[in-house]
Amino acid sequence: MFSIFTLLYTILIFSTSFSIHLLSTNDKGTFGRFALYFLCISFGFSLFLSVLYALLIVTKNRRTWAILKCIGWTNSNINSLITGIVLYTTLIGFIVVVEILLHYAAIMIYLQSAGVSVGFEPILIQLLPVVLSFLVFLFVQLFAIFLANRKVLKVRPMLALKKPGE
Amino acid sequence: MPVDKDVMIEAIDVNKEYRRAGAIIRALIDVNVSIKSGDFIIVQGPTGCGKSTLLNVLSGLDLPDSGKVILDGENIARSKEDRLAKIRRQKVGMVFQEFNLIPTLTALENVESALWPTVLSSKEIENRAIASLRDVNMLERKDHYPSQMSGGEKQRVALARAIVVKPRVIFGDEVTGNLDPEAEKDVMELLAKINKDYETTMVIVTHRETVSKYGDRIIKMADGRIVK
Repeated sequence: MFSIFTLLYTILIFSTSFSIHLLSTNDKGTFGRFALYFLCISFGFSLFLSVLYALLIVTKNRRTWAILKCIGWTNSNINSLITGIVLYTTLIGFIVVVEILLHYAAIMIYLQSAGVSVGFEPILIQLLPVVLSFLVFLFVQLFAIFLANRKVLKVRPMLALKKPGE
Repeated sequence: MPVDKDVMIEAIDVNKEYRRAGAIIRALIDVNVSIKSGDFIIVQGPTGCGKSTLLNVLSGLDLPDSGKVILDGENIARSKEDRLAKIRRQKVGMVFQEFNLIPTLTALENVESALWPTVLSSKEIENRAIASLRDVNMLERKDHYPSQMSGGEKQRVALARAIVVKPRVIFGDEVTGNLDPEAEKDVMELLAKINKDYETTMVIVTHRETVSKYGDRIIKMADGRIVK
């Protein structure tokens, strides 16, 4: 689940960064004309995915949360753990995007300096749109974390006493 | 009313009802029980007699509908969930029939997990977890995952997780229910040793007659009442 959502977050942070970059540079190319739509779709998807991820973390691990409650974890202890998992996934997605963009920029600059034509005008996304996208994602996570925290309150410790699947 | 300092757990006129499929089930009816510090109590009775409900209520996993439950001098019958969690962390160890180890953590990490929400340093947590695993003869398996252990070994790790918090009382729900006779003997002897060495109060719910000999007092339940 962590790997899948990290990959999805990476794609969405990239598409959000790309849209912000196109809007900020007032690009009138094929992508540029649809930048605002891309941005809205990316934002909507990120909101949906974040909520889905937070709810999956709670529901898929209900027994684990119940066990932890039985051995003395409070709701706030468990909420801190879930917040950490959600933010860690977002951070990894952001780092992967930065890593890919740095390598992409390095390859493009190398090819240009070596006089090799790639057949298109490379678009180099600057760091600011990526950081902005990351901040947007963090904001969206707050909403998801709030929902997850509400859901954790409903997990009763007695669930751990039942047989798995009962 | 003066509190008897020797009494670890006391249930006074405890009642508990459940609703199941529209019917009201009276799981505990006017239950009164007093357990002294260092006692080894076995709670027995047929399926559905209310013994697990009694354990849930005494350990603070569930609240009674009426009555008082006094655990180590504090009435927990109306405590908030977070207060109950803190009481369990400081005073109570739990052992379950299904072991309830977290499958993605090693034996050592499972034991440590009971101490992670505390203010102890990670080194102190590790040292205490290692000491607990040594107490249950599972130190050599500390890096193994639950899937790599037998039922008896899992239960010993679960026991290490229960004692790592240095509890005043350990509650066990059918702790030998999934074990063969050999493993049952190992686990019950370990519980008896912990009870003797650390004077930890034990409340063990079971339907197995073979477990009775380890207790110094047996509580028999039927139809939600203590009958003996």
